[in-house]
Amino acid sequence: MKLLVNLLKLPTFVFSVGLLLLTIFLALLGPFFYPIDVISKVGPPYMAPNAEHLLGTDNLGVDMVSLLIAGLRSSLYVGLFAGIIATAVGTFLGVYAGFKGGWIDDLINMVTNLFLVIPTFVVLILISASLTEGRSLELIGIIIGCTTWTWTTRSVRAQASSLKARDHIALARVNGAGTLKLAMLHILPYLLSYVFMVFIIQVATGVAMEATISMIGLGPFDTVSLGIILESAMNNDALNDGIWWAFIPATVLLTVIVFSLYTLNTSMETVFNPRLRK
Amino acid sequence: MPIFEVKDLRLHYLLRYGDKVHAVDGVSFSIEQGEVLGIAGESGCGKSTLVNGCMGLFIPPLCPTSGDVLVEGESLMNRTPKDIRENVLARKVSIIPQGAFNSLNPTRKIKNFAADLINSHEKGGDKKAIYKRLHDRFELLGMETDRVLNSYPIQLTAGERQRSVIGISTLLNPKLVIADEPTSALDVTTQKAVIKMIFDLLERKIFSTMIFITHELPLLRHVANRIGVMYAGQIVEMGTAEQIVFDPRHPYTKALMSSMLSAEPDQKQRKPVTIDGAPPNLVKTIAGCRFADRCKETREECKICKQEIRIVGERLVRCQYAA
Amino acid sequence: MLKKYPTTRYILRSGGWYFLTFLVAISVNFVLPRLGKANPVDIIIAKHGAGKTQHAIQVKEEGYLKEFGLVKLDPDGAIVRDADGKPVRSSLWSQYVSYLGMCLRGDLGTSFMNYPKKVSEIVIEAVAWDFALQLPAIILGWLLGNILGALAAYKRGVFDYLFFPLSLLVCSIPFFAFGMLLKYQFGIVWPIFPTTGGYASNIHYSFSWEFFSNASYYYFLPFMSIFPVLLGGYAIGMRSMGIYELGTDYIRYASYLGIKENRIISYVFRNAMLPQLTGVALNLGNMIGGALIAEIIFSYPGLGTTILKAIQGQDYTLIQGTALLVAIMIIAANFTVDIVIAIFDPRVKAGMAGA
Repeated sequence: MKLLVNLLKLPTFVFSVGLLLLTIFLALLGPFFYPIDVISKVGPPYMAPNAEHLLGTDNLGVDMVSLLIAGLRSSLYVGLFAGIIATAVGTFLGVYAGFKGGWIDDLINMVTNLFLVIPTFVVLILISASLTEGRSLELIGIIIGCTTWTWTTRSVRAQASSLKARDHIALARVNGAGTLKLAMLHILPYLLSYVFMVFIIQVATGVAMEATISMIGLGPFDTVSLGIILESAMNNDALNDGIWWAFIPATVLLTVIVFSLYTLNTSMETVFNPRLRK
Repeated sequence: MPIFEVKDLRLHYLLRYGDKVHAVDGVSFSIEQGEVLGIAGESGCGKSTLVNGCMGLFIPPLCPTSGDVLVEGESLMNRTPKDIRENVLARKVSIIPQGAFNSLNPTRKIKNFAADLINSHEKGGDKKAIYKRLHDRFELLGMETDRVLNSYPIQLTAGERQRSVIGISTLLNPKLVIADEPTSALDVTTQKAVIKMIFDLLERKIFSTMIFITHELPLLRHVANRIGVMYAGQIVEMGTAEQIVFDPRHPYTKALMSSMLSAEPDQKQRKPVTIDGAPPNLVKTIAGCRFADRCKETREECKICKQEIRIVGERLVRCQYAA
Repeated sequence: MLKKYPTTRYILRSGGWYFLTFLVAISVNFVLPRLGKANPVDIIIAKHGAGKTQHAIQVKEEGYLKEFGLVKLDPDGAIVRDADGKPVRSSLWSQYVSYLGMCLRGDLGTSFMNYPKKVSEIVIEAVAWDFALQLPAIILGWLLGNILGALAAYKRGVFDYLFFPLSLLVCSIPFFAFGMLLKYQFGIVWPIFPTTGGYASNIHYSFSWEFFSNASYYYFLPFMSIFPVLLGGYAIGMRSMGIYELGTDYIRYASYLGIKENRIISYVFRNAMLPQLTGVALNLGNMIGGALIAEIIFSYPGLGTTILKAIQGQDYTLIQGTALLVAIMIIAANFTVDIVIAIFDPRVKAGMAGA
């Protein structure tokens, strides 16, 4: 609780949380205030913004605002999903490698290096041939999560191995605590704040990754996401025809999400880090 | 003329929301050439702040409130940081920092780091001449000079690093050397070696005057001519080494001495006594004696004591009731 | 003998490791597409076999089967047939081996969309464009970003207060989204720069000044989609590192000694550079990937556009080939960074020398 109070004192924290919550509310509560309809055509293709449809229509004549809110939901969902998986895998491997050291550390390092070198969308491209249907949001989230955990592993491992050298761990060991108990009781509490910050970055990565993947046509099937909105803008020559509402709002939303997450992470660093460093 | 003088120096730190911490609150002393002044005190008494002040490093959030610091009669106040950097630091006043063995740049060879120092203060150095200079100086420190100078810190032992730092700090023959806790975190044998080296240099007139800061009072007896005891930003007692160590008058000095273990033969049987409580918060102005709440000899009057300095038995004591 | 040259030893070991990774990349490239049950050749023939005679289809099909190593070959290189005259499929293992062999020989198969052009030809051409775009962007972005970051860390104050949120904002924009904005604003609303391709259609691809000056015109927007974002990211990293280094004992000591400010900044720089380089290595994969996607916006003739076209046209061999090449690019980049780190880090040298 005291932590929360300290955090709230920072203007950057308040700002970023505010921005983030605004976005989330838009996604979650938007449908209650605005009729989301991503199917019916409410006007001609690429109709300009007007009083009734604040951001015009897309290339099929569907209301843009509906698309944006629906897209926001999907993108956030994928980002969260991927973030959770990446953080879980990364933390587990990182703690294990950092704490155990020795050959396990080397092995996990090798695996991490391997995954580092093979980027997400290459994996997706290669899988796509065998997955012409069924690219759901969840699947995309899983694939992103399973290829972006490398950064988390490295960071967590560094923390874990520096914690390992601390005195209170040695004391617990002398008292006969086994590895798992040591990890749970003595290391994890210190790591929790760090892991949370890492999680935030992973969610941001997930959201950005989804957009990137959708751009080459490998995005989720039969759903709208921010990336898909951008993809259809590109494919339908929206830029060349000056149809700014087809891509600028989506870009703004995307940037806002990532920016608020990054800023949140930075503001928390100033509070969390002094404790962890010493 | 004393080579170094501090006149009623008051320094404060600026905190957020306008608060000020008065870390040094009225410190005065002077040092003659060839003297070693010891400054003793617990952590948090303002020693580090005093050190920054003695070097003229008034860098925000550290700001001078009032007072003066004079090196060879020249004031260090109201000078630009550039001026201090070029003319005072390492030339007039130099420091052997705490944790000296961590103070070397890990990615720079010793000779290059030392050359950086020389080049920052003197113009137009020929590489060979500089190396010779370093070589001669480091020879005095009793090390395998060529190997040490061409190594990275990581390749040297802690003792070698310590000695390198001492060599580098005294390279430009400063008038005053401040040794900031040079023996903390060292084992006893290394402690002795370090002290021996410092005094070796003193003897050879590489530098002549020193301020030796430590929290171990008994050590100062062997090292200092005079000792000043610091508490809560003020000097509470100042006298010769013998006076302070064997016949302390201020209650704090007395408590400090009795809280220490000593290897002196006459003091071995005594059990150390702790000083309860903690140093005061220096943000608020404190009425009365700062030590009153922890003093074993405190009385009612101490709470409003003006804490003026008196002369008691040939030493300066900041306690109205010391005998 | 090698003990005397720790750097060389490190590089060799690193190189060996990366070669292993290369082999794994090939294997991954082999395995993943085959996770589905569909036979790639069937897909291809279905796609591209329309309007051809039965015989023509069969010839093509067997040509591909041979190329994919899906069928057994007799010593003469002809396809082994069973009782019905149908080609005998080879085992998964021999498919793998033949694929491995092909890759190591540099033969990545033939593209369908551009039949009979070889995949390797298409891909090498595209890679040259990528190299020209990404290498300067990454190097310049890293150098300038680090300088700005170090300055921000040292000066703090107003410079930092403005600089930091701005960098953070810029590096939050995905490359391609930034590209879209740039293309829209500077290619369409204000038609200053060309928006498609690598050079004008009436210019010849040659090593002439005319070509290069024209191409740089087309180069500018794609470059600016990546460069500022990279700059922002690196600046932020360096700033954090710089702030940390500035709090260290050795910097404090150097300032106590009155060492010149520029010199102290160079210390911070040099010591923070190495963790920064490691950070680059960690990000290289995603960075290159993102840059490729950004190219799509401008139809810049690099691998990005190639991948897009390949996916849209379901050109199976081209997809595989480009995926492999992207992996190779990233492996090579990581290896280069490793070498640079080894050359410049005295701590690595000292560590290796057994201090």
